[in-house]
Amino acid sequence: MKKKKIYPMYFLIIPIVLYVVFFLLPSILGIAYSFTDWNSRSMDSVKFVGLDNYIEIFTSDKNYISGILNTLKFTVVSNIVKLIPALFLAILLSEKLKGKGIYRTLLYMPSILPFVIIGIIFTSVLNYNNGLLNIVLEALHLDFAKQKWLSELSVVWKSIYGVDAWRGIGYVMTIFIAGLSTIPRSYYEAAQIDGANFWQRLRYITIPMLSSAVMINLVFGITYGLKVFDIVYVLTKGGPGHATEVITTYSYQLYSNGQYGLSTALNTVLLVVTAVIGVFVVKKMSKQEVQQ
Amino acid sequence: MKKKLISILLMVSMTAVLLAGCGGSNDTEEGSADSGNDFAGEELTILVSAGWMDNRYDETIERFEETYDVTVDVQTIPADQYSDVLQSKLSTDSCADIFWIQSNPFAIESVIVDPEQYCIDFTGAEWKDKMPESRLSSCEYDGKLYGLQIWHNSPEYVMVYNKTMFAELNLEVPSTYEELLTICETLAGADVTPWFMPGADGWQHQLAFFQIGGAYEDDKPGLYDTLNNNEATFADNEKMLQVLEQFKELSDKGHFGEDWIGTDSTNMMNEFADRSCGMAMANSSFIKQIQDETDSEDEYGLFLIPLGDNDTYPTNPSGPTMFGYNGTEHPELVEEFFNFVTSTDSLQEILNNSPAYTNVDMNDEDVEQHWLPEEEEFMATIDESKTGTPVLQTGTKYTNDYWMNFGADMVAYCQGTMEANDVLKNMDTNRAEAAKVAGDAAWE
Repeated sequence: MKKKKIYPMYFLIIPIVLYVVFFLLPSILGIAYSFTDWNSRSMDSVKFVGLDNYIEIFTSDKNYISGILNTLKFTVVSNIVKLIPALFLAILLSEKLKGKGIYRTLLYMPSILPFVIIGIIFTSVLNYNNGLLNIVLEALHLDFAKQKWLSELSVVWKSIYGVDAWRGIGYVMTIFIAGLSTIPRSYYEAAQIDGANFWQRLRYITIPMLSSAVMINLVFGITYGLKVFDIVYVLTKGGPGHATEVITTYSYQLYSNGQYGLSTALNTVLLVVTAVIGVFVVKKMSKQEVQQ
Repeated sequence: MKKKLISILLMVSMTAVLLAGCGGSNDTEEGSADSGNDFAGEELTILVSAGWMDNRYDETIERFEETYDVTVDVQTIPADQYSDVLQSKLSTDSCADIFWIQSNPFAIESVIVDPEQYCIDFTGAEWKDKMPESRLSSCEYDGKLYGLQIWHNSPEYVMVYNKTMFAELNLEVPSTYEELLTICETLAGADVTPWFMPGADGWQHQLAFFQIGGAYEDDKPGLYDTLNNNEATFADNEKMLQVLEQFKELSDKGHFGEDWIGTDSTNMMNEFADRSCGMAMANSSFIKQIQDETDSEDEYGLFLIPLGDNDTYPTNPSGPTMFGYNGTEHPELVEEFFNFVTSTDSLQEILNNSPAYTNVDMNDEDVEQHWLPEEEEFMATIDESKTGTPVLQTGTKYTNDYWMNFGADMVAYCQGTMEANDVLKNMDTNRAEAAKVAGDAAWE
């Protein structure tokens, strides 16, 4: 039976035009420019150079490859660090608890803070000599735990994951809470009658029924991780040295130096990586949907 | 029927509001041009980086606003974003009426690239004579005058040290690296950070390498010319490698402070006042700041950075320089501003409002300078023959543009993730890239 359409097809024209002009076209132009020597001095005389920029990225002394690897590492680790605690927090805050509304709000608040604010606050808190964290550790006689949080190579990534988790857990948790609320209580009651403990209930009921929430968080988390710039830049600017450089910080540096062609080539590499992962995730999701 | 009527009314009123908005602004524009003096009601915009004007020009600008009945909008951009913002504005023709750059003899070409297109030609302006001869190379290009540089001539980024502390510990001013190392060890033994190094700023620690440019030139006479003609490289230069190794040695021994990479300069003045550190690289006027703004009663002095056994003075004919934007809507107002700001009264105001600077380097005998006795004492010890070579970042092409990258590489080297020669190699690669893009014949 032909469903009566509420809105005619030509309503789509304006959104499609806006999308094409402001999103699709610049992306395609960007990819095209990545095959040229576009830079700040040759604004009117751009020359086609083929794959030179890409060869530069993969063979340069400047180690862009470590930036790409750091980005992938960040994507994987930051998601693990956020999803697992968020899941447990969500389970905790779905129980009958006094004031759970307040706790949920408090946990969610960091994700509405602008990154610049987070950067300013945490560079101060994590300062080795005068930062709040080290001073508190000293006061508690835990001097051995004092670290150069943002300038020691062995610790700097952990600091970034920590700050990123502090910021992002609330959001992930909120999605899980929404997912948990759809699981009927009767399943848990039935399982408890059968003698299942917390971990078994988690494994056989919670996680399977939360698969769509997990998928949502994974998709958001993966795209965030691959595009990460703000949290790294405001904390370390890619330093110390080049230890915390990611694709986007290198791209930003290249842009600042006026090497626009190389910068867009790096962004195109990011686009390809994101597209491959995106296609894979979407395929998995649709398989899951079909199963369900 | 009623619904159609309402929707038509709404559409008409919406269109009317839109058109009213457009129409209104046209009217006010035509109205103001006729009244008062030539410039009344106009707005002059200035694009500048933090640190180049700050509050020092406020008094002069206020007087300018009153004299010409205009408003001046100073757009101050944080230092680490300034060059990005400026490049975007120049390439999109949306730059302020006046913009600044950190200029040196090569900067106009590498930063502005096409001064004929972007800058107002001030050739023949009266204020040209007010600038010292040595600074003209940073303000002129291809025989034409574009920029105005009002800066100071104090020793920049030499070593400032606590004289009283040194006397108490029986320390003499070092003139070689070995002497410096001994002093650092003594200071460290007295529980004082020997050489305060604010690595977190990103732009300070590499001064230790670049300010002693004269030492590299003395070691290999003609080095600067060969570097500028692509006949020599930074890589494999023995003196440079030696200096980097000395820097790393001081870092490894903890003489820069426990966490110099994570420490910035915001607290440097208090570190001196609290006697937590013995020396640091700073401008001579920093001494005056410590004396004025803290209650330290110690005496301070200056000496040349002794890395690489350097004994040359860091001559630097560069400084923040202002240019008129060629696409401005009021070029005459811009010219008036340049004339106004170089008058004796303005120069005196700017100097008086600059607690960090002790003099203003302009040919104007009526300006009362505030030279420090410490500066005069230090300058008296400098051998005239050792002042001829400019610092490395100013004397060689394309080097200053990669200042921050070099600094990041130095940190990587100190942390053991990079070799010293690779730090130098990266600078060569960057310079070659910039030279190729600028179409420099020497790099073909």
